[in-house]
Amino acid sequence: MSSPLPQSRVRVQRIAEAAVERARLRVVPRLSSRAPRVPFVTLVSLLLVAGVVGLLMFNTNMQQNSFAATELEQQANELTSREQTLQMELEKLRDPQRLAEKAQSMGMVPAVYPAFVRLSDGKVLGEPTVSTAENGFDARPPEARKPKALDPPPIEIKVPAKTKAQRRAEARQRTRSGSNGSTSTNQGDRSER
Amino acid sequence: MSLRHQTTRATVRGSAPSRSAGLFRLRFGFVVIAMVLSVFGARLLQLQGLDPHAYAAMAAREGVQNVVLPAERGAITDRNGVELATSVDGLMIVADPQMTEDDAGPIASYLSQELEIDYFATLAKLRKDDTRFQYVARRVPSTVARRVIDALEEKGYKGLTTRRDPMRDYPADDVAANLIGFIGDDEDFGPLAGFERTFDKQLSGVDGKTTYEVGGGNRIPLGTNNTVKPVNGKDLQLTIERDVQWFTQRVLREAVRGAKADSGTAVVVNTESGEILADADYPTFNANEPLKSPERNLGSRATSDPYEPGSVEKALTFSALIDAGKITPRTQITVPSVLESQNAVIHDHWDHETIHLTAAGALAKSSNIGTALSAREFTPDELNGYLRGFGLGQRTDIGVRGESAGRIPDPSTWGQLGQDNIAFGQGLSVNAVQMAAAINTIANDGVYIDPSLVKGEAVADNGVKVGTSTTQTRRVISEEAARQTSEMMELVTDPVDGIAPTSAIPGYRVAGKTGTAQRVGKECGCYDGTFTVSFAGFAPADDPKFTVYVVIQNPRNGMGGGAAAGPVFQKVMTYLLRKYGVPPTGARPTTLPVEW
Repeated sequence: MSSPLPQSRVRVQRIAEAAVERARLRVVPRLSSRAPRVPFVTLVSLLLVAGVVGLLMFNTNMQQNSFAATELEQQANELTSREQTLQMELEKLRDPQRLAEKAQSMGMVPAVYPAFVRLSDGKVLGEPTVSTAENGFDARPPEARKPKALDPPPIEIKVPAKTKAQRRAEARQRTRSGSNGSTSTNQGDRSER
Repeated sequence: MSLRHQTTRATVRGSAPSRSAGLFRLRFGFVVIAMVLSVFGARLLQLQGLDPHAYAAMAAREGVQNVVLPAERGAITDRNGVELATSVDGLMIVADPQMTEDDAGPIASYLSQELEIDYFATLAKLRKDDTRFQYVARRVPSTVARRVIDALEEKGYKGLTTRRDPMRDYPADDVAANLIGFIGDDEDFGPLAGFERTFDKQLSGVDGKTTYEVGGGNRIPLGTNNTVKPVNGKDLQLTIERDVQWFTQRVLREAVRGAKADSGTAVVVNTESGEILADADYPTFNANEPLKSPERNLGSRATSDPYEPGSVEKALTFSALIDAGKITPRTQITVPSVLESQNAVIHDHWDHETIHLTAAGALAKSSNIGTALSAREFTPDELNGYLRGFGLGQRTDIGVRGESAGRIPDPSTWGQLGQDNIAFGQGLSVNAVQMAAAINTIANDGVYIDPSLVKGEAVADNGVKVGTSTTQTRRVISEEAARQTSEMMELVTDPVDGIAPTSAIPGYRVAGKTGTAQRVGKECGCYDGTFTVSFAGFAPADDPKFTVYVVIQNPRNGMGGGAAAGPVFQKVMTYLLRKYGVPPTGARPTTLPVEW
C-alpha cells in the first residue's frame, strides 16, 4: 500500500501544476461581521445579573425560611408545653380527691344502697335508703407519713414518782415558803442572776 | 532619522541611574512578595498538610450543634385511659450566684411567691460563695418557668437560666402509687419502683439525635444536617379503674386507722375477666413525693407480704369437699367442744358444748372443728391438689415487683394436725391477690381465671409476658359445687345465722367469708398473739360481677374479720354495684339449714 503513494503524488504535481499554483493560500481581506453585538452582550449580562440576583434571592429566601422555621419550632414547643400544663391543671381539677373534698364541703354524703327503677314496669329494685352523714367516709387527702429521719420521735423525759418521805418534805417546804414567800422568791431571783 | 536616534540615546544616557534603582525596587518587591507568599505557603502546609483534622474539628465545634431529641415517655393509664402517670416538659431553674448575689432578696421573694419554694433556702442559694451553679427549682412546668424567667429579666435581674428537666407527673398523687411506683430525682438511675421500673423498656422509648450547623442562632440551611428521629415510649394501660381505686384506698385507710391496725390491703376483681379493678394498700405513699414516706410503704403489700389466710380459706376447703362429693351443704356434722389432733387441741372461736351443725352452718359460723372434721375425708394430697388448683402457692405474675408466691407445705409433712390447720387456713401462707383470685373461682362458677393488672400485653423486665391477653382459665371445681358453696357463703352475711351481718347489702344477695388468723411474728417465728383479719365476698351471689377481698393486719381493737374488714367490703361492693349499675337479681336468698 505504501509503494504507490509517492508515484501518485508525483503524478498530481505533474498534471495539475498550474491549478496548484492558482490555488495557493492567499491573505483574504478581513470580513467585518454583520451581526450586531449589542443584543448578545445584553443577553449575556442579563443572564449573569439574573443568575447572581436569583442566587442571592434564593439564598436570602432560604435564610428567611430558616429563621421562620426556628421561630415556628419554638412556638410549637411553647404551645406543646402550654398544652401539657393545661392538661395537668385539668387532671388536677378532675382528681377524685378534689371532687370528693368539694362535695363533702358542700355537705354531700355518698349514697348508701343502690336501688333501681325498672322502666318496663316501674318496679323498684333494691331497697331505696336515705343516706345520712353516718354513711360518709374519711375522704381527706393522704397525710404524709414522714420517714424517721424527718420525723424524730418526741423526747420523753421520765420523772420518777416521789416517795412518801419526799412528798412530805415538799409539803413542809411549801408551808414554810408560804409564810415568808417574798424573801424566798427574792433569793431565787438573785441566784438566777 | 538621525535626530530621532540622538534623542533616544540622550534619553537612555540620562536615565541610566534611575533605571537600576527601579530594577532594584522591583527585585526587592519580588523578594518581599516571595517571602510573604512562602509564609502563607508554610501556613497553608501547616493547616492542610500537618494536622487538618484538628482544625476541621475546631471549626465544626464553632458551628455544629449536637442535640439529643428526647423520646417522650409513655403514660400509665387506667382502664379508661385516664392518666395515672404522665410526662410533662419541665425546666430546671439554675442560678449563677456571682450574678444574683446583689439582687438575691427581690429575686428570692419573687421566686418563692411564684414557684412556692422556700424563701430562705432560695436566698441562701442565690448568695452562695465560690460557685457559679445552683439549682433553684427543679421540675418546673416549662410555661411557668419561662414566664418567671422572662418577668425577672424584664425587671432587670440577671443570672438565672433554665435547662431541660423532664417531669413525671402523677396527677392522682397516691392513687395506685403502690402499683405504679415512681421515678427518682436522678434521671440517670431511671425509674426506681413499681410498673415504672418493671415496664421501663416499653415506657421509655429510644432517644433520637440531630446534628446541624448554626449561624447566629439559626440553622444554616445547606449546612450539615443529620437527624435520627426519637421513638416515643408506648403507653401502659392498666385494668385499674382510678375512681374505684381511689374509693377503695380511702375506705381501707379509714378502716385500718379505725382498727388501729398495722396495715391493710383490698383487692377488687372483675369476676368474669379476672381483671383487677382496684388493688389498694395502706399505708401507701404519694408518688409525687416518694421520699416523704418510709421505704417500707413504697411497695405493694397485696403481693409482697404473705400471711396466713385463716377462715376465708374454709370456703375453698368446703367447695373442694363438695366438688369431690364428700359432703353436701346439708351434711350433718357433730361438732365437739374441742377436737384433739395429734398432741394438740383445736378450739372454735366461741365456747360451746357439743353442737350439731350442717356443713353450711359450719361455714356460716366459721367453725374450725367442723371444717377440720369434714376435711379429714381428704388425703393430704387431695386437699393440696385442690388448693394448688385455686392458685395458692404459685405466683400470680401480674407484673408487680417482688411478688411472694406464698407457701403450702409439702403434703407428705402435714400429719393430722397440719392437715386440720390447713383446712381452716392456718399453717400455709398466701398473698392477697392469690386469695382474691381463689375466692373469685367460686364466684366464677368454679373456673379459675388468672388475675391481671395490665390491659393487653406487656413484657416485664424479667421477660415474663403479662396482661389480659395472656390470661388463662382452668376448671377447679364443678359449677354445681361453686353454686352450693356460694349459697353457703350467703349465710355468712345473714342477719340471723351469719357472723358478718355488717357486710350485707340490703336488696342484694351477698356471699362472703370472714377470716381471723393468728399471725406469725417476725422475731420469734411463732404465733405472737396478733391477728390478720379479712373478709372475702362477691355479689350478686347468684350472678357475681365483682369479688372483693379485704385484709387488715394486726388490728388492736379486738375486732374480727367481720367487724373490721366487713364494712370495707360492704362499702366497696356497694360502690361497685352502683357505679357499674348492677341491679339486684331479685332472686330469693338461700334457705339452707344451719343446725340439725
